[in-house]
Amino acid sequence: MTDDPAVRVEALEALLVEKGLVDPALVDDVIAHYETNVGPLNGAKVVARAWAEPAFHDRLLADGTAAIAEMGYGGAEGHLLIAVENTPAVHNVVVCTLCSCYPWPVLGLPPRWYKSPEYRSRMVAQPRAVLAEMGLELADDVRVRVWDSSAEARYMVVPERPAGTEGLGLEELERLVTRDAMIGVARALAPDA
Amino acid sequence: MGGRAEFFGPVVREDDEPVFGARWEARTFGLMNVAGATGLSPNFEAMRDAMRRLPREVYLAGYYRRWLGGVENVLADQGHLAPGELDARVQRGDGAASPAPVPRDIAVRGELLRRSLRSRYPPAVAAKLLPKRFGTVRVTRHQPRFAVGDRIVVRAPRAAGHTRQPAYVTGRPGVVTARLGATLFPDALAVGRHEPPQHLYTVAFAGRDLFGDEAEPGTEVRIDLYESYLVPA
Repeated sequence: MTDDPAVRVEALEALLVEKGLVDPALVDDVIAHYETNVGPLNGAKVVARAWAEPAFHDRLLADGTAAIAEMGYGGAEGHLLIAVENTPAVHNVVVCTLCSCYPWPVLGLPPRWYKSPEYRSRMVAQPRAVLAEMGLELADDVRVRVWDSSAEARYMVVPERPAGTEGLGLEELERLVTRDAMIGVARALAPDA
Repeated sequence: MGGRAEFFGPVVREDDEPVFGARWEARTFGLMNVAGATGLSPNFEAMRDAMRRLPREVYLAGYYRRWLGGVENVLADQGHLAPGELDARVQRGDGAASPAPVPRDIAVRGELLRRSLRSRYPPAVAAKLLPKRFGTVRVTRHQPRFAVGDRIVVRAPRAAGHTRQPAYVTGRPGVVTARLGATLFPDALAVGRHEPPQHLYTVAFAGRDLFGDEAEPGTEVRIDLYESYLVPA
């Protein structure tokens, strides 16, 4: 018997299609949705707007689900969204130690490292060391707050707005907001990067 | 896996990682979502429980391999797959399927899923309908037992079976920092047990209260925990 997952999932899908339980075209549509419709660009638009518009910033931190809904975002794994903001005193970072919970509507599907046993086990215990290895050195007086998002809520980080971005428009700001910055394992990009 | 040193190691980032690493990963992801949305799997918590019950080597064989095992288990639980049926199909090895018509109830739920696959939603839909459809927040008459600022200890031992109570906070002291409302209780939902909704709290733990002398200074973990996991300190 083979344990090749490609063979197993093909056989599983064939069985379900033969039984009339699954429409394979719907499986195609779901895949295409996550490949094209959702991704970290959604979250970048949310963060850029929060940087640029103080009233939206406050709404986002007060009720993330309602704030992203204003921009048309929502759905599976985004039904209770909480945005947490980095400051000079507190750095936030997100992990899911139980599975790999992740805010799909604003960040898309998680990267492989986020789902790895190494990240899931270590981030709660050694956040400073993991962040430093990933290229984010934090001063000793910056408090590290790790969010283990393993129940109903999903978390996204609002990174600090980089210096020198005062004159930038929304689209220019969006380009500075990376997926990793919204997980909390990186800062937002500098405008000249 | 939180805090379990046996899994510690370097976190390796890849540049330009595609959404799916292989076609089978995409098919597994798609099947899981379709199974959940059309009722073949009762809810996502049952899927998580189905993953938890996998043999250790399958559980640790990678994210989508674990999902595939979870889908297999949950479909077997629900009577959609007979014991050994998938293995027999794998051995036969003929991939091409002759499709059977999908019954109306499954087709209707599938159509709802198809219509939900959009890049943006009308704000009212995103604010009200989607959280109801995908979330498990519920109204309850029970008053919350804890308030923000309350000191708690996470009950020990954990409940047997499926739970969202991580081992690394079990028995540890923390402080309630937020109340998130009441939701269906995952431990019950996973096994189809009917229980009233439970209040959900964000609890902050100082690093040293979780990891003792090994903890890094100036670190804390915040995690959302259900009311029955908590006892007053």
